[in-house]
Amino acid sequence: MSITRRKVLAGSAAAAGAASLASGLASPAIAANEPLRIGFLPALTGPSSSTGVAMNRGTLLAVDEINAAGGVNGRKIEIIVRDTQSDATKAVNAIAELTSRQKVAMIWGPLNSGETLAATPLCARAGIPMIHPCWVDTLIDVKKYPMSFRSAPTNEQIGEAANHYVMDVLKAKKVAVIGDNAGYATATVAAYVPLLKKKGGTVVYEGNVDAANPDLKPELLRMRDGGAEAIMPWSVNAGFLARILNTRAAMGWDVPVVGQTTLGSGQTKALLDKPENWAKVYSNNFKNCCYAGDGKLPALAADFRGRIAKAKIDMNDTLLWWIACGYDAPKLIAETVKAAGDSPKDITAYLNKLKNWPGINATLTFTPEQHNGVPDAEVVMCQANSLKDGAFNLAPGYGA
Amino acid sequence: MLESIVSYGLAVGAVYAMIGITYNVMFTASRAFSFTAGMLGMLGGVLGALFIDRLGLPAIVGLLLVLACGAVMGVITEIVAVRPVLKSIEQHLYVLSTLAFALLIAQFTAIEWGTDAAPFPRLIPIGEGLLDQKFWIPMLACAVTVVGLELLYRKTLIGRAFLAIAEDAYAARALGLPEVRLRLASFALAGMIGSLAGFAGGEMLLAFFGNQSILNFYGFVPVALGGMGNNRGALVAGLLLGLFQQAANFLVGGIFASVAVFVVFIIVLLLRPEGFAGASGARRV
Repeated sequence: MSITRRKVLAGSAAAAGAASLASGLASPAIAANEPLRIGFLPALTGPSSSTGVAMNRGTLLAVDEINAAGGVNGRKIEIIVRDTQSDATKAVNAIAELTSRQKVAMIWGPLNSGETLAATPLCARAGIPMIHPCWVDTLIDVKKYPMSFRSAPTNEQIGEAANHYVMDVLKAKKVAVIGDNAGYATATVAAYVPLLKKKGGTVVYEGNVDAANPDLKPELLRMRDGGAEAIMPWSVNAGFLARILNTRAAMGWDVPVVGQTTLGSGQTKALLDKPENWAKVYSNNFKNCCYAGDGKLPALAADFRGRIAKAKIDMNDTLLWWIACGYDAPKLIAETVKAAGDSPKDITAYLNKLKNWPGINATLTFTPEQHNGVPDAEVVMCQANSLKDGAFNLAPGYGA
Repeated sequence: MLESIVSYGLAVGAVYAMIGITYNVMFTASRAFSFTAGMLGMLGGVLGALFIDRLGLPAIVGLLLVLACGAVMGVITEIVAVRPVLKSIEQHLYVLSTLAFALLIAQFTAIEWGTDAAPFPRLIPIGEGLLDQKFWIPMLACAVTVVGLELLYRKTLIGRAFLAIAEDAYAARALGLPEVRLRLASFALAGMIGSLAGFAGGEMLLAFFGNQSILNFYGFVPVALGGMGNNRGALVAGLLLGLFQQAANFLVGGIFASVAVFVVFIIVLLLRPEGFAGASGARRV
């Protein structure tokens, strides 16, 4: 038998194939003893750190609970935390490190939109699944980023929830929409006004005002003259929001104010002339983490808060839903790996079929076409002045 | 509406006028235009809230401490940002050095104080009368500043020495006046006026690091309109600016109010580059 060059090449290819098959078969046995690595990208320092610190508390609690219960199929979870310092560049560097050197099974985070906008394409390129709680609509695109999932509402859902409350619950048809002149506020006003009009509302005032303008009376007079039955301010600037509330009170006008979560923040409260100025103010929140009409949290959240207290996690400086959102992600990842394995393809396939997964913060559902997990009905408004132990009362009108 | 335009307009205008005067005092002493006036105003608000609200000091002690801090900041500005570039004043390097110093302080404030606006305490524990204290305190502070400066410049020896330096620093030095010390004193005085502006307007503008850029700009407008170094011009132009801005807030509203102010500012400068009250200087050829 003559040995040709072609036969030698074919033979070596077959040998290489067999070797790779053997190593492929052997790998689960090794992996079963290895810890399950999850990359986590919170902003623990810098301007976005209030959310990051809170979600970090929830995430670490979940990981401790899972590991104490024996881990995932016998594998301990190893959470690899990289503080992004509220800086998109650092988030990008951390993603590169976590996907290439640390070989994580999945990424949780980053936790704010600016960083996630930069991180998502990198994660997609590395072929590592990710889940994040950021609101910017364009972050989820199943064609461009088929392995990226969202465990929080989109900006559109936030706007729709507020619009629904104003038009369907408060029955206000004439609405004033105002924002400051920062990027978030101008974009949000421009996006929400058409949604409001589509719902049949009349926008009697639409404007963006310099955030440092000390006197907003002219704007509020214009709203009142236009017959506004509700004011919707979209701004993260506590000074701007407090001025709206103080001016409303000084004018003796009891029009409801419905809008962004900052309306219910401690910074806004500190700037009010009188505590009463906070009445009839409703801010965005999540149904599962709000007190219902009977003054009680839903069962899952109540049980969760008990565990937070037991673990001696500080609740005084933060919000329940932030901690709950941080807790839900590692729980979901652990459950996914337990059921489907830790390859990116299997994780994605499992999450694509996730239906009504009972998170503490939100009930998540994903399909291959829809990676925004939070249902519209769970994005609600709460009473801004009702903060107690990290949670708010549901705004009136949602029923018990 | 008219009442709101007048009360708010004059109060904000008084703050602008005082920031304009801060620019002027530094300018007349050094011939350098120091862009730290807005920073001094911002610090007046932030430090006032710090001393009175957070540390719980009485309002009058808070005011004195704010003035002292303003004076120290003025002196540091002169030493760090103005003196090193005075030798080559025709290159206008002071624009860069003073602006950089102001930004440095603003960033430091943002880190230490926070980027959110914080409440400024009510200075006098009385209810709202016909005209609330947040309106009349800035007006009163402005009046005290203007009258005080007039008396200082016209009635005292040191005030005359300030004027001599402003008129001709070289000749004043030749006469034996301590130019450097007088310049330092001028910057300390400017520091006090700037921080007083922010302190007096604190109830209106809040303790917010972002006030720096607004005060820097809106405080510059009275100087440009009133003529550089002209305090009376700055006073009139500052009050007019406040009234015009507030009227524009009512008439056009929103972001267009700022546009209206800029448009008028540019038109006036095109028609009268030396300002309303400024004299066009003869150029040596």
